[in-house]
Amino acid sequence: MSELNEDEIRGLAKAVNIEIQDSDITDISYSLNAMLEAIDSLNLEDINAVEPLPIILQKGD
Amino acid sequence: MSDQELIFMSAADLATKIKEKQISPVEAVKAYLDRITEVDSKINAYITVLADQALAEAQQAEIDINAGLIKGPLHGVPVGVKDQIYTKGVRTSSGSKIRSDFVPGFDATVVAGLKRSGAIILGKLNMTEFAMGDPITSAFGVTHNPWDLTRNPGTSSTGSGAATASFMCATSLGEDTGGSVRGPASNCGLVGIRPSWGRVSRYGVEGASWSLDTIGPISRTVEDCALTLRAIAGFDHKDQYMKDVPVPDYCAALTGDIKGAKIGVVKEFLDPDVIGVTKPVRQGVLQATEVLATLGAEVEEISLPLAPVAGVASRIISAVERSSLHPEWLRNRPNEFHHNTRVAFTTGELIPSQVYYKAQKIRTLVRKQALEALELFDVLVMPGASEPATVMNLEPGIRSKEAAARALTEASYRGFFSLVSGPALSICCGYTAEGNNKLPLAIQIAGRPFDEARVMNVAYAYEQNTNWHLERPSL
Repeated sequence: MSELNEDEIRGLAKAVNIEIQDSDITDISYSLNAMLEAIDSLNLEDINAVEPLPIILQKGD
Repeated sequence: MSDQELIFMSAADLATKIKEKQISPVEAVKAYLDRITEVDSKINAYITVLADQALAEAQQAEIDINAGLIKGPLHGVPVGVKDQIYTKGVRTSSGSKIRSDFVPGFDATVVAGLKRSGAIILGKLNMTEFAMGDPITSAFGVTHNPWDLTRNPGTSSTGSGAATASFMCATSLGEDTGGSVRGPASNCGLVGIRPSWGRVSRYGVEGASWSLDTIGPISRTVEDCALTLRAIAGFDHKDQYMKDVPVPDYCAALTGDIKGAKIGVVKEFLDPDVIGVTKPVRQGVLQATEVLATLGAEVEEISLPLAPVAGVASRIISAVERSSLHPEWLRNRPNEFHHNTRVAFTTGELIPSQVYYKAQKIRTLVRKQALEALELFDVLVMPGASEPATVMNLEPGIRSKEAAARALTEASYRGFFSLVSGPALSICCGYTAEGNNKLPLAIQIAGRPFDEARVMNVAYAYEQNTNWHLERPSL
């Protein structure tokens, strides 16, 4: 995944009605890109077949 | 008895002496209020001290006890509560400017539980803003670590850890999303347990992350932790994710007998090449496992290959869920947040849905791997963090993408068991010297869902055969 630049991040923010302050954009870029890169690098086998509902308590849990 | 002797006593001993009328609740509350006056100017653990209310409750407790009416196992014991937990008629700020005037009209279920057991709420404890980020984000100032005032007391329940470690309350409540009970316990040399998901009601607690939040005690001993957990655990229909599972008598379960207990040591967290555990922490944890082995436990190494990815998944889940709680504040009142909190909320808003779902899928896999390991072992152990409490950087900001990435990796130590949703406890396993100060080290002990009793008994056996819990920071 390529790193999101500051304009792209501002564009994403605009889509959800958030105006990013100039003083925040660099740190948001660090934080968001670190998360996106870290999760993108995790290629776990069969992850597409996993249901994302771990929080539902199973009988006997 | 001197004030010093009284405040250095465990909550369990204090409760016994109050019940036996050797100490009056008024004496106990006054001793703790004096201690707050003496040391909190250095620590900044309290946002609100309820001196008059606590003294009035103590006077009533004294009348009741003298009349033979014992409300419960914490009758007359002064307790501190993290400031995101609702207290009727008392400001509950969540460490923020935005909520600095918020006064709830009811008690959180856990506060009602403490009061039912006779505890006296001494005050509301400092925390990071909305339970996020570093101690610098609190609108009520930075909380300092009693072992070294320049260092982080552990987040996000900063005040709960610092107040308990500096003897400004007998025991306390924190809230743990990705490690906010275990972190302060780890950094301050205390015992803190994140209970199982569904064990303790979250009703009346300002949420941080709906699928990860739990409320747990931070205490000076395992017995105090058990006593406090007993007061707050149990089914509550007001929290839709609770499970109606009987709550055992946790104190009675503290036998200290762990002969034959199967203990798995998670290999990945002790390998410096995997996620960077430091030498003193590694040594402290390995020595602790030797103590457990001498007590008759069967200690074996186990590999959980997904352990190092837990931090990324837990941080993404909590970032998204947190930012969804009050989206209007980010749009309408952005300048009332600390810079770091505003950055974190905005980041959470911008994470794509598929990334969030990938994190949830990873959570499913992490949980499955841990629960399978817990079919082979009674408990799993690992460090509480890669390193002891670090020096706080008082300047706002993330610094670099690499720093943000390192924080994600570090989050695996406690995020792992946040994802599993079973109980995880942090207990001091020694100290390391840093300059003129000693800094606590911590081991985590985690168990099967709803098996808090076994987790605490392993911790108790360890504590009874070591002296770390008897050390005190000099203030």
